[in-house]
Amino acid sequence: MVCPLMGIVLVGNLEESARKASRWFLEKPPIRNLRDWAISFSLWPVHFTTSCCGAEFAAASCPRFDAERFGFLPFLSPRQTNLLLIEGTLTRKMAEAAKIVYQQMPEPKFVILMGVCALDGGIFHNSYNIVRPHELFPVDVFIPGCPPRPEAVARSIIMLQRKVRNSKYIWGDGHEPKGED
Amino acid sequence: MEQSSLTFRYKELERAWDGEKVYEVFIGPQHPASGHMRFIVRLDGDIIVNVEPDIGYVHRTMEKLAETKEYIKSIPLFERATIIDSNNITLGYVRALEKLLGIEVPPRARYLRTLLSEINRIASHLYGLGLAGIFINHSTMFMWGFGDREIWLQLAEELTGARLTHTYSIPGGVRSDLPQDFKDRALKAIRYMERRLKDYMKIFFNNPVTVARYKDIGILKKEDAKRLGIVGPNLRASGVRYDARLVEDYGAYREIDFEVPVREEGDALSRLLLRIDEIKISMDIIRQVLEKIPDGPILAEKYLRLIPPKLRKTMEETGRVKFPGLFASLRPPPGEATARVEMGHGEVFYHIISDGSPKPYRVRIVTPSFRNLLLLRYLPVGHRFMDFPAIYGSVDYFPPEADR
Repeated sequence: MVCPLMGIVLVGNLEESARKASRWFLEKPPIRNLRDWAISFSLWPVHFTTSCCGAEFAAASCPRFDAERFGFLPFLSPRQTNLLLIEGTLTRKMAEAAKIVYQQMPEPKFVILMGVCALDGGIFHNSYNIVRPHELFPVDVFIPGCPPRPEAVARSIIMLQRKVRNSKYIWGDGHEPKGED
Repeated sequence: MEQSSLTFRYKELERAWDGEKVYEVFIGPQHPASGHMRFIVRLDGDIIVNVEPDIGYVHRTMEKLAETKEYIKSIPLFERATIIDSNNITLGYVRALEKLLGIEVPPRARYLRTLLSEINRIASHLYGLGLAGIFINHSTMFMWGFGDREIWLQLAEELTGARLTHTYSIPGGVRSDLPQDFKDRALKAIRYMERRLKDYMKIFFNNPVTVARYKDIGILKKEDAKRLGIVGPNLRASGVRYDARLVEDYGAYREIDFEVPVREEGDALSRLLLRIDEIKISMDIIRQVLEKIPDGPILAEKYLRLIPPKLRKTMEETGRVKFPGLFASLRPPPGEATARVEMGHGEVFYHIISDGSPKPYRVRIVTPSFRNLLLLRYLPVGHRFMDFPAIYGSVDYFPPEADR
């Protein structure tokens, strides 16, 4: 049987067919626009501090810079969040935890790398104990600086919101952590 | 060694550990606290039997990296260890380096270092108090602490040009002079902070809910504090009058009249209140520094002479130091030097070994958070699980500093 929905074949496994149908429904323009609008104003980062840029990240979500006005609220459990902010250097021991946290987060999920150490090592570029986070996660926004100012964090949120509103991300595709480290 | 009461309590509870009723709770490294840290807590019912801090999540190998960099390049490296207290942590390194090189710091530079150190100390304590607030879910204290910290960061930014990573102290002096009207703005900040501290007392420290969480929790006795080698506000809250500012002759502390606050109780509440006392003392020191600060150069004469006359002229006009070319390859004579500096978290100790080359042979840092880490192992034992965040918040432990 060929369903009238844009030629998607809905036969066989009922669960599979239901998932396909719901995916088709969510990707249809008015629903899709509504969905993207909702996601862009509920970017909740998981409370996961990896290094010293966390001090500036904390300042960004506190009174003077107040990133919460963008719908950006650090939250505790990875299960209820959709944004992973790597704040500074990612050591080998922490990278394992970061991968587990990332895998626990539900789709759609985004990654922001904060600080030059997260970009490519920075001042610790020749250290034996660090990893490059862009080798592990699909990254949406990079914030350079050592440490970046809180305004830069706010700007990165706006950039990510714009990316989401323009439907520039792919749902459930290429969002698995890479690498063995 | 004579065993204290704390050790006895620890041994007694450790015996229950073998039984089946003990279960483990893993806290972190992704947890609502300041992060980068894992605790393996063993519980008997609701009573903590044993806590094992699992450190090393932020070990960025700073000591090893320092061996691969020229002396002057290690200053920005070490300030990343405690980014919230960056002048204090680099001051120890700079002082040890000055001892190796045999340089005298001009008086104005010493006063300016003291000024930024105290601004850093206030910001660091407010950071700690804010986190202590959020640990027991008091978000007002968190928001107030972090919001008021911005005032001091603003002052530091006017003085040095950076919010957190100042790189202000360099061998032989400081990097920039006082900006215009700095005194008025600093005094305004002090007046504001004094008003705010009264609000803090009202909403946090005299709040019955907070007092119930902190009072008589995690008591550190005087002899235990000495035996475990605790430093900083945690030591002084247990009644020991020890401060690197008194012991070591650095900065302008010998010329300034100040009292080091000491409290006797040693519980979580007194550790937090001691930080409030220290903020008051630091503001008093800033006021005295701004009054007493002498005129003169901000870089040692030995290095000023090396700067070309044209650059020296722009330096005097703008108040910003141009580095002499010699700084690219400072070669201290072979030898060793040590220095201690009091940070917001406690005393930091540096040991530099030089072999006469432009890079250090070895740099050893003993950071206050690493020494205070023992508290997280000993203090929570015997308390309820609910008290664990209260104790962790009161100790003001900063993981990147301990792991280096």
